[in-house]
Amino acid sequence: MNANLMGIPALARHASRRVAVRRRAGFAILALVAVFALAGPFAIGIDPARQTLADTLMPPGAAHWLGTDLFGRSVLARLAHAARLSLGLACVAALSAAVPGVLLGVLANWRGGRVERALVMLADAVLSVPGLLLVLLFAALAPGRYWALYIGLSLSLWVEYFRVARVASRPVLAGDAVQASRLLGFGAAYILRRHLVPALAPVLGTLLAFSTAQAVLALAALGFIGVGLQSPTPELGLMMIEFLPHYEEAPWLIAAPVSLLMLLVLGMMLLVAEEDAP
Amino acid sequence: MNNLTNDKAGATATAWTGILLRRCMQIVALGLLVGTVCFFMARFLPGDMATRIAAGRYGYDLVNNAAADAVRAELGLDRPTWLALLQWWGQIARFDLGTSLVTGNAVWREVAHQLGATVDLAVASMLIAVTAGLPLGIWSGLHPGGWIDRLTLASAVLLRAIPSFLLAVLLMVLVAVQLGALPVAGDDHAGSLLLPALTLGLGLAAGLARVTRAAMREAAASPSFEFARTKGLSDRQALVRHGLRQAATPVVAYLGVQAVFLVEGAVVVETLFAWPGIGHALVHAVFGRDVPMIQGTALCMGGVFVTFNLLVDAACLALDPRRRTGSTA
Amino acid sequence: MASAGSPAQPAGAPLQIVGPWEIGGLAPASSGYIFTRMQITETLMEAREDGAPLPGLAERWWVSADGLAWRFWLRPAARFHDGTPVTAVAVVRCLQAARVAPALLSVAPVKSVEAKGASIVVIRLVSPHGSLPALLAHSSTMVLAPASYGPDGAVRAIVGTGPYRVASLTPPQQVEAVAFEGYDGAKPSIERVRYLTAGRPETRALMAEGGQADLAYGLDPASLVRLRKRGKVGIDTVMLPRTVILKVNAGLPALKDLRVRQALSLSIDRAGIAKALLRDPELAATQLFPPTLGTWHNLALAPLAHDPAAAARLLSEAGWQRGADGLRDAAGQPLRLSLRTFPDRPELPLIATALQEQWRQAGIAVQVNVGNSGDIPLGHRDGSLHLGLAARNYATVPDPTGTLIQDFGAAGGDWGAMGWTSDALVEALAELTRGASSPERAAGLRAQVTAELQSNLPVVPIAWYRQQVAVGPRLAGVSLDPLERSYRLTAMRWRA
Repeated sequence: MNANLMGIPALARHASRRVAVRRRAGFAILALVAVFALAGPFAIGIDPARQTLADTLMPPGAAHWLGTDLFGRSVLARLAHAARLSLGLACVAALSAAVPGVLLGVLANWRGGRVERALVMLADAVLSVPGLLLVLLFAALAPGRYWALYIGLSLSLWVEYFRVARVASRPVLAGDAVQASRLLGFGAAYILRRHLVPALAPVLGTLLAFSTAQAVLALAALGFIGVGLQSPTPELGLMMIEFLPHYEEAPWLIAAPVSLLMLLVLGMMLLVAEEDAP
Repeated sequence: MNNLTNDKAGATATAWTGILLRRCMQIVALGLLVGTVCFFMARFLPGDMATRIAAGRYGYDLVNNAAADAVRAELGLDRPTWLALLQWWGQIARFDLGTSLVTGNAVWREVAHQLGATVDLAVASMLIAVTAGLPLGIWSGLHPGGWIDRLTLASAVLLRAIPSFLLAVLLMVLVAVQLGALPVAGDDHAGSLLLPALTLGLGLAAGLARVTRAAMREAAASPSFEFARTKGLSDRQALVRHGLRQAATPVVAYLGVQAVFLVEGAVVVETLFAWPGIGHALVHAVFGRDVPMIQGTALCMGGVFVTFNLLVDAACLALDPRRRTGSTA
Repeated sequence: MASAGSPAQPAGAPLQIVGPWEIGGLAPASSGYIFTRMQITETLMEAREDGAPLPGLAERWWVSADGLAWRFWLRPAARFHDGTPVTAVAVVRCLQAARVAPALLSVAPVKSVEAKGASIVVIRLVSPHGSLPALLAHSSTMVLAPASYGPDGAVRAIVGTGPYRVASLTPPQQVEAVAFEGYDGAKPSIERVRYLTAGRPETRALMAEGGQADLAYGLDPASLVRLRKRGKVGIDTVMLPRTVILKVNAGLPALKDLRVRQALSLSIDRAGIAKALLRDPELAATQLFPPTLGTWHNLALAPLAHDPAAAARLLSEAGWQRGADGLRDAAGQPLRLSLRTFPDRPELPLIATALQEQWRQAGIAVQVNVGNSGDIPLGHRDGSLHLGLAARNYATVPDPTGTLIQDFGAAGGDWGAMGWTSDALVEALAELTRGASSPERAAGLRAQVTAELQSNLPVVPIAWYRQQVAVGPRLAGVSLDPLERSYRLTAMRWRA
């Protein structure tokens, strides 16, 4: 869960064309998945919960583009709703981790000294528990409830924003523009809005996409363990668990959520692509 | 000269103290965090935990009220919250992890028993990752753009994207069933470690290869490498003497980050392969709402994680002299 | 094809059994069944497939005319695995432990258990209890040597009397047993046996397929389809006296009305569930007891049907009007229920999902909670349960009467009726327990009980249960015990 973004400054520097192409491709893939998640449920229009037991395990065909599952439900509809649910929850968790994380990171740099040390210790403390474990503990607290998953996910994600914001805001805060603004008497909010946000935005955008994808994977893992959301809610991890026993008689079933997740990860990896030294 | 050596020794000691302090503080934080969450877990669980535990012990065919009452007598769920929380923390500080609510055995004994199995799995996975990933990464770093490089990139993407349980089932089906080469699950055969370790190790190897490649490229482009070449050393000699050591630090640091992947993957893989480690025990405990076991296994996993990071820190310190003198941020 | 020489199963390897059940602690009440199935321990009595009592550790028994005194003569040559002879005192100690709940001897009105001499056990009852032999065949009454107990009275080791003795025990996962030379019966042909727990059904199926396990229990329907298609391992089946039932809280205002319960039952597409989810159309339940419980399966009963139109009619008769998003009563409150089930048996969450949708079509909003199996008894106790889905074993004790009294007695039961009772039913069950006057009378009582349960639906039967076990190619002589009391290892042998 703790993202491995090597060489953060490299992202802020001017990137080579090949890397830029890769990053654009990554964004495009993620955008595609997002569109599928947002518009898919409306466009497809089939009720994801509607069962027809007589149509169990049908292969992809005209009536059902991705086939049907064990209960005769449309896999395509379920996939779209699952994508929306997982991505929605993951996005919200990532955002609610980003805002305090970034603010705290900037604060650490701004104040320095004891405040910074205390905040770094706090971040370290949270890092003592591996991310999935933390989410698992919170999910075990109230199984199947959205708020528990949401809090667990946010808690495990915020540290990365803190660290990135702290590192990335250092050159900005030490720079001339900010010094000038301070001399002119502008307050913290102005500096935040005018200087920090534009400087941090590209890095944070990347990180947001990255942690959203990670959160989706974590939700899937939790569904596997059995403390995630409960059936019949369509969710990617739950779908994978449901389809796993049929890997031989109906392999198209598990291929659907797995492909979606692989697309997500691919987009993620392309997004953080960096200089491949020649 | 003496002053310089003393300064260096002093700086190293400071660096060591810094690392140890940081990791110790993390252990304390771990205990507090996990302990508090587990405490509230025990209190927040809906309904009657005693009956729940009794069902876990006796099987649902035999569970009835008398059994639940017997279990309730063991739990003592009637003290005020703040007092109970303090007592809870005190117990953790004394390393008193209690007894499992399902089997009645001491938690630390069960966890110690399972820890060995998980450590075996982790070490084996690391070995596989290093054996497969490092040589491929080094080769790709020295020969970028070659077919091995492209192959490694493609497999890295693939392996990182597949969820671990799918990879586990695929390996089971391919290796154990079709080829009949390895036992599918359990830990009674000598070879049963191989499949679970392979599942985790392949994912690690993919990332490791890429990081090694990047680190090798950096090292190969660095001035000290060039200098070694101008001294007349061949590529290979320069590599061995200068490049590897320089490349080692980011690789070792990466391993530390991947400890997370190992810990999280262990939970899933152990359950699927019936490997009797801590991850398996944790999942079980969550199902059975066995809060002392949840706490014990979570603390243990966190402790292993922090210890592993400590070892990585020590390795980085040993490898990179700049860290000892604190000249890098 | 995994042959004797493949690394997965070298020649001379023990018989490997894999199943979902864990060895959770050594108390007979919690894990006794594992050891009786492995034939490591024995009980005083055994039972035939139809429930009739057979001699076990007791080679013969006698009951007094008034039914209050029972005598059991122990097998003279029986030995514990540590070599000591089986004495009545040792047996009495185990039976006294079994009188403490939740061990099953606690449901019998026992006044005293005494040893008379070296090899006679005398049990005195407060009132007649005809199914005492059936209770004494339950694993929680299994006989252990005095050496099994620690100084605090808890079981520390399993020293039994069966044809196999424990070679190594690593709870909760494994137990390995080897043939016991001092057994006073026929020596088994298979020398070593090992049982392993594997949590996931896919793992168990793959172990069977790869030759690592000779017997694999608890397989899911999809794996069975695959195994049958491949043909590498055989699949033995036996219908069990287990029924997937829906426990209904008839105390709820909505469910108090019999018409609503009937509507719930009529909305269930049992044939669809059996065919699509369980892959076996014959498992669709027509009544509570499956045909294999011969004497209790009542052929005269009208089978449970799937009739959504009739269900709709009954619901509107009961005052529920169809609204835009489901049913509403006269006050405008929707009909919302919660269904609890657990994942220990892989079919249950699947069936719950199907039921939820079928009821949604009928206008009833049901929320499914897959949790711990303990949630259902606890919901019964504190009244918070609405609906519960479980697979109830009606022959925990070989004679179902005992289980039926537990479930449908005057106060209802954790896995039986809730908020509903019938005096006539209780009276009939009491008479069956005492011992009916004649076989015809007993048959009549049983018919009365089953008819009452079918028409009042305190629990709604959904599907019967077929146990399907993968049998590896090395084994011959495999047969399955419908009472799930024994793996019948002594009858098995290696295929030459």
